Amino acid sequence: MRIGQETDGENGGRDERLGSVTSLGDEDVAVIEVSQLIKRFGAVTAVDELSFEIGSGVVTGFLGPNGAGKTTTLRMLLGLVRPTSGQAMIWGKRYAELGSRRPKVGALLEASGVHPGRTVRDHLRVRCAALGLPRSRVDAALEAAGMSKLAARRAGNLSLGERQRLGLAGALLGDPEVLILDEPGNGLDPAGVSWLRGFLRQLAAEGRTVLVSSHMLAEVAQTADEVIVIDGGRLISHAPVRQLLAGAREVVVVRTPKAVELREALEAEGASVQLIGADRLEIGGPTLEQVATLAAARRLPVFEIGRQAGSLEEAFLQVTSAAGRP
Amino acid sequence: MRNALRAEFLKTRTTRTTAALIGLAAALTALIATIEAATAGSGSGMAIPSLATAAGLRDALTSTGFALLVAAVLGITSACGEFRLKTATDTYLDQPDRSRVLAAKAIVAAAAGLVIGLAATATATGIALGFAAAKGYPLALPAGSIVRFAAGAVVGSALLAAAGVGAGALIRHQVAAIITVFTWAFVIELIIGGTAGTAGAFLPYTAAATMAGVASGGGMPQVPRGVDPLPFAAATGVLFGVAVLLSAVAALTTARRDIS
Repeated sequence: MRIGQETDGENGGRDERLGSVTSLGDEDVAVIEVSQLIKRFGAVTAVDELSFEIGSGVVTGFLGPNGAGKTTTLRMLLGLVRPTSGQAMIWGKRYAELGSRRPKVGALLEASGVHPGRTVRDHLRVRCAALGLPRSRVDAALEAAGMSKLAARRAGNLSLGERQRLGLAGALLGDPEVLILDEPGNGLDPAGVSWLRGFLRQLAAEGRTVLVSSHMLAEVAQTADEVIVIDGGRLISHAPVRQLLAGAREVVVVRTPKAVELREALEAEGASVQLIGADRLEIGGPTLEQVATLAAARRLPVFEIGRQAGSLEEAFLQVTSAAGRP
Repeated sequence: MRNALRAEFLKTRTTRTTAALIGLAAALTALIATIEAATAGSGSGMAIPSLATAAGLRDALTSTGFALLVAAVLGITSACGEFRLKTATDTYLDQPDRSRVLAAKAIVAAAAGLVIGLAATATATGIALGFAAAKGYPLALPAGSIVRFAAGAVVGSALLAAAGVGAGALIRHQVAAIITVFTWAFVIELIIGGTAGTAGAFLPYTAAATMAGVASGGGMPQVPRGVDPLPFAAATGVLFGVAVLLSAVAALTTARRDIS
């Protein structure tokens, strides 16, 4: 499945960014290519005939419920886990075969993987040495991740969010063209989440190819061009974000002091209703007019009523439940 | 290989673990050497013969047995620490050739083991000769023998540290790996050496200890009784072979294992 550049054009913010992608290489060539990938751990199939392609300069959200096989897929892509069968390639090669181009692939997989007694700067110096990069890249990566002031601090004294930033700094050491990030928002406080949103936008603006697994769907919706959804190790959906959002059903939101009564009435008519707080209902199925008419017929007071566009979260739940997940 | 070596050297230099292990080796050696030298010739308990005798001075000079094991622990820590601290993911992302990483670790551990051997032998030699001189004894051993024991402790520590990397990469769990190595040195080699006679000389810890001149003195762990020590070069060869074999097996298994 290849959708690559289908996302440009309509998203004004993206046009400029995708325009800079041409410097990274041929846009028609898949940067990341996963083909019939299978991974079994004993009797458990973690990844099951998974195939997708990601084009140059595309920011892709990699979504799925816990245990869907996201991390295993990313680890196979990066040569850390051996596939049972199938292939996971970057620029048409296995990760271990990238040679001098390897530093151009940055990854964050395990933010907690730091020696607690080593300073932030030394941690990055070690990684720079292993990648054969000049030491000057350490300061550049620290600055990009907003870690410059913490350079002399021992990693054991960092908060979870700071470790996450350190992991992102490590991923940026080689000034990568391709970034593979596994749950970069884990452990971040609201300020950290806000920083991460800006950080991902900046990566996107710089035209890098980004594959980011995340359960922070709002962040993905604001940053990604396309979304890959997997469940049970299988591909459920691979589509541009706007296409997925278009498929997400619109809901009607009602504020009423008789929320329980209105809910019962709507459910009796076959609507799917969620009680949000004491006096708010989120209703899927009927139109706004149908809900208002029903409330009037039952003499139930309505203080507020409106439509709410479908979110990526809703779209995600729809595609995963359609694939047989409750 | 150069990048892998540079990274491993930096890892060793940028934490306190290596310095702590060097300090531990020197402290243990100092403790044993001081007890041995202070009680030498008293005839009580585990006391070694007088420092005026060749046997007594040798026992005090070669109280480096624990330092050899500390060197092995350093190698184990280098390999197992990657999994204990979850740094293996970044290590193998940056250097996907796992055999190369293990080879670099073994070389760097050997260099650090060499420093451990130097610290331990300098401590033991200083204490033994200091006590002997203080008591006014003439040097009971030729200088060549003293140098050979020192060289044995240094080379033995280096090779045991490299072998420790292989053992650590195979076992992965740090505590289990350290317990295994101590059990091997304190129990299994003594049992095998005590029953197998000549073959015991080819066991790795025994080979390292005999290189360092460790006999059957009060300093533990001891070389099994009844084992004829190998010549220096042969013992070095045995230890080198063990380090290479363990590293090769570890490289083969590590290459196949998932890093998750």
